[in-house]
Amino acid sequence: MEEQTTFWYEFKKGFILENPLMVLMVGLCSSLAISNRLENGIFMGISATFVLVFSNVIIAAIRKWIPDQIRIPIFIVVIASFVTIVDLALKAYFPPVYDRLGVWIPLIVVNCIILARAEGYAYKNNVKNALADGLGMGAGYTCVLLIMGFIRELLGTGKIVLFDKTLFNIAPPYNPPAIFILFPGAFLTFACLMALLNRYKMRKAE
Amino acid sequence: MNEAYRYFLIFLGALLIYNILLIRFIALCPLIGVSTQVETSIGMAMSVLFVMTMATTASWVAWNYILEPLGVGEFLYIPVFILIIASLVQFTEMFIKKVSPPLYRAMGIYLPLITTNCAVLAAATEAVKPGFLKLNVAYHFSLPEALIYTIGVALGFGLVLIVFACIRERLETSPVPHAFKGAPIAFIIAACLSLAFMGFANLLGL
Repeated sequence: MEEQTTFWYEFKKGFILENPLMVLMVGLCSSLAISNRLENGIFMGISATFVLVFSNVIIAAIRKWIPDQIRIPIFIVVIASFVTIVDLALKAYFPPVYDRLGVWIPLIVVNCIILARAEGYAYKNNVKNALADGLGMGAGYTCVLLIMGFIRELLGTGKIVLFDKTLFNIAPPYNPPAIFILFPGAFLTFACLMALLNRYKMRKAE
Repeated sequence: MNEAYRYFLIFLGALLIYNILLIRFIALCPLIGVSTQVETSIGMAMSVLFVMTMATTASWVAWNYILEPLGVGEFLYIPVFILIIASLVQFTEMFIKKVSPPLYRAMGIYLPLITTNCAVLAAATEAVKPGFLKLNVAYHFSLPEALIYTIGVALGFGLVLIVFACIRERLETSPVPHAFKGAPIAFIIAACLSLAFMGFANLLGL
């Protein structure tokens, strides 16, 4: 029972309390750049979660044998191997998605979330907690990506297209402002989401 | 198209039209994290210019003389490039510490941060490995071209970082709605700047 609660706690922590994007503000670059479509958000979220979970688990498993002075290069090699797996898999099975995500896939290596979790969490905790932490952080990241992707695609193009199927279409009189799928829209959407969260927190504090 | 004009286009494209911070969203963490004072921004910009130029040169040599001839580039480029960057940063830090202590004091604290700065890896990957560059120019992946591209990217980074820091210093004393204090207003400003940079789109047919 005790074990169960810590697992849940670690998972929930990454998802809500320490959400990497909204609260810790790490890994912003990729989330803003690729969240112009819901579909990109799904692929990027899954890729980053995969890398996060596996690198967390491996690092937690070998943490006793890592010499302290060279831990950062070791973390980077572990992370880079999993990123290479994602890179080649996406290139082989989903070429159009790979084209759209482009340089962002190799950049998962330097995504601050992953290195920060390796250094700050997995290096000091056991495999099970590291797994929960990876899953929670990955889910929190993916969730924000999906929200941003949904808002931006809906407002910017007036419809949601997922795997070549239109799920949702706003009636014709709505004239979609393209700014939302372009670059400034990402900053605006993210700023508003953060302001909403701040407001909610302030309400709660009162 | 003559040679000098082509180089000019590559430089301008990297500097303004595909500005790494505002149009490509790469390296947003230092933009939000470091750019609170003009002085620190200048230090950061200089260190990035220095490391980025060296990283691209080293990656170019590794790609053209080791990875490509051996036919292993496709699946080893991520770990190789990131290790080159990490060790270069470490080496630069030791070298500067030994040779010029004042410069080390000015640049020192930013150097370790640069390893996880996505801009360095992004610039190296795009300039060296075919398939990632977005510029609409005939690009032959030669060393001078890669260097000009990288310097353009680094100067574009510095330019935006310093402009942004100037605005943020002003912001300290201006009345901001309560929920938007801190990071959200910084993102709104980034949105406005990004909007301004979009004016450069399609300049000179790039």
